[in-house]
Amino acid sequence: MEEAKLSRSAMIAITVLRVIVGWHFLYEGIAKLTSSSWSAAGYMRASRGPFAAFFKWIASNPQMLDNTNLITMYGLTIVGVLLMLGLFTRLAAIAGIGFILLFYLCNPPFVGYFYSIPTEGSYLIVNKNLVELCALAVIFLTRSGLFAGLDRILHGLFFRRTRLATA
Amino acid sequence: MAGDDEKRKAAQAASGEPRKLDRREVLKGLSTVPALGLFAYAWQTQRAFQQARVEEIAAAAQAPADLQEINIALLGAGAQGQVLTDAMLRIPGLRFRAVCDVWTEYNQKRVVNSLKRFKHEVNGYEDYREMLDKEKDLDAVIIATPDFWHAQHAIDCLKAGKHVYCEKEMSNTLEGARSIVAAQRETGKLLQVGHQRRSNPRYLHCYNKILQDAKMLGRIVTVYGQWNRGVTPDLGAPDRYVIPEARLKQYGFKDMHQFRNWRWYKGKGGGPIVDLGSHQIDIYSWFLGTNPSHVMASGGNLYYDPKTHEWYDTVMAVYDYDTPLGPAKGYYSTQTTNGSQGYFENFMGDQGTLLISESEVNFAGQLYRDPNAPAWDEWIQKGYVSAPKEQEAKAKSDSGAIADVRESAAPDQHTVPVTLRDPYHQPHLQNFFDAVRGTAKLNCPAEEAYQTAVAVLKVNEAIEAKSRLAFKPEDFKV
Repeated sequence: MEEAKLSRSAMIAITVLRVIVGWHFLYEGIAKLTSSSWSAAGYMRASRGPFAAFFKWIASNPQMLDNTNLITMYGLTIVGVLLMLGLFTRLAAIAGIGFILLFYLCNPPFVGYFYSIPTEGSYLIVNKNLVELCALAVIFLTRSGLFAGLDRILHGLFFRRTRLATA
Repeated sequence: MAGDDEKRKAAQAASGEPRKLDRREVLKGLSTVPALGLFAYAWQTQRAFQQARVEEIAAAAQAPADLQEINIALLGAGAQGQVLTDAMLRIPGLRFRAVCDVWTEYNQKRVVNSLKRFKHEVNGYEDYREMLDKEKDLDAVIIATPDFWHAQHAIDCLKAGKHVYCEKEMSNTLEGARSIVAAQRETGKLLQVGHQRRSNPRYLHCYNKILQDAKMLGRIVTVYGQWNRGVTPDLGAPDRYVIPEARLKQYGFKDMHQFRNWRWYKGKGGGPIVDLGSHQIDIYSWFLGTNPSHVMASGGNLYYDPKTHEWYDTVMAVYDYDTPLGPAKGYYSTQTTNGSQGYFENFMGDQGTLLISESEVNFAGQLYRDPNAPAWDEWIQKGYVSAPKEQEAKAKSDSGAIADVRESAAPDQHTVPVTLRDPYHQPHLQNFFDAVRGTAKLNCPAEEAYQTAVAVLKVNEAIEAKSRLAFKPEDFKV
């Protein structure tokens, strides 16, 4: 287990990071689920960069857009809950990385792109999406759920069963 | 953590016992669960805050003791129905009773749910006749269905004894529009048509004060107006919301594409000249004080595929008017290209220009006084217009520095000091409900809207005829 290589205080800090990122995912999901009119269409129509055509194609196809909206709303919510609980943490972290990678690639802050929608900060290649993506990578690699999270209980149960089975 | 755990695990492994899930392990496993509780608390607080704001709006719209409550139904809960609903939720003394829309899977559900958040207990209907049968307490029906349904919906509601607010265009055919006027006269019920600029305080100020009282523009000779919109993909619907074919046919649509994009289809809507131009051409006649005498027009599908967009995406029309002060021409253009310069109407007289728009963002109301026109000091003192804006370029042009025979001296720039902070449709709806209570006169009654329908529907006819068409004065009479 990688966690063994880190100090207890480092693992606590990473757990806090996991809960905070989970909180953000969960609220992003819930806010979209409870909004009567949220759609990813606007964000995807404004897409720039190498994958712009892909995102614009999704936005222009009602069925694809509907699926994308559903996956985004429920996906963010579920990933958020899992991260906060430390349940299936690695799976949740990978899924979270997937979502954020898509958000990042949809409107990347690359050199030479001029966005007309104001953002709350100033970004050059690195934006907060990328920071959160890296945070999830840390959570994935350190298996924070095994330190403090339901994964610890699952892991214990799982090990006990396998041991019993082979006893 | 490493030390203790490792020792314990090593001990377990050495003894060959299964790893124990002790209390300590469980507590560590559950240690972040309280964060979810904290989240739930924060979210509930946030929801309570949002709900309080909704209730604040609902409370502001509650009828004072002396205000008669009006029971209303929405017939047609699409995009326009939603716009009207949002405006009506801010008007005191209304009680929503029913929402009717054939798209029960989406539109109807959405509006019913949003009304319930505002504490209106509404029933949803697919068939408006069932609604009229069952909802006996209704005082008024707000119609925002596709244009080709307006006549039948409005007539049946009027005949059922309801007052009607009907979206423009009154109908997609003049026969339909005429039959609405006839039903209104027969029943004596109120019928307001949704040319909402007629109740907009800025337009009313311009008409009553600037044009009628002060006559600040002098003789209006030309009018120019436009509405530019960007090209957009057709409206669609995800599979789970698609209306079954039998129901689409029952309500006059050949398929879901036509249902979602009816404005572009002949026999259903009238295209951008009707959807957009109608609002503004209505103002031409109102401000000029007369209906047009002729119209010539050119239009076509310059961008869209005529198979799915039967009406013209680009239209340019020129009207002739014989105003009480002399002849005038009105040019109107609606383009489906991009939305730059938006929409406005520009009235040019021999003494000044009025540039006005319903938009509060662009061209909300500017006036230009020709340097040779009588001074506007009196109107500035009365608050009809702002004092002129100081302009550096104008100082130069007045001194002759840049002006020559080709260029007139720059006019003074003023603004119209009236803004509308409410939703654009709210004053017009308010005027309708005031009329229902008997405290106001309708700003756009049936006969008035009919004249606009005559002027606007003729544009499509002129494009097809490829010639200048004449209006007879009796064309505008019902």
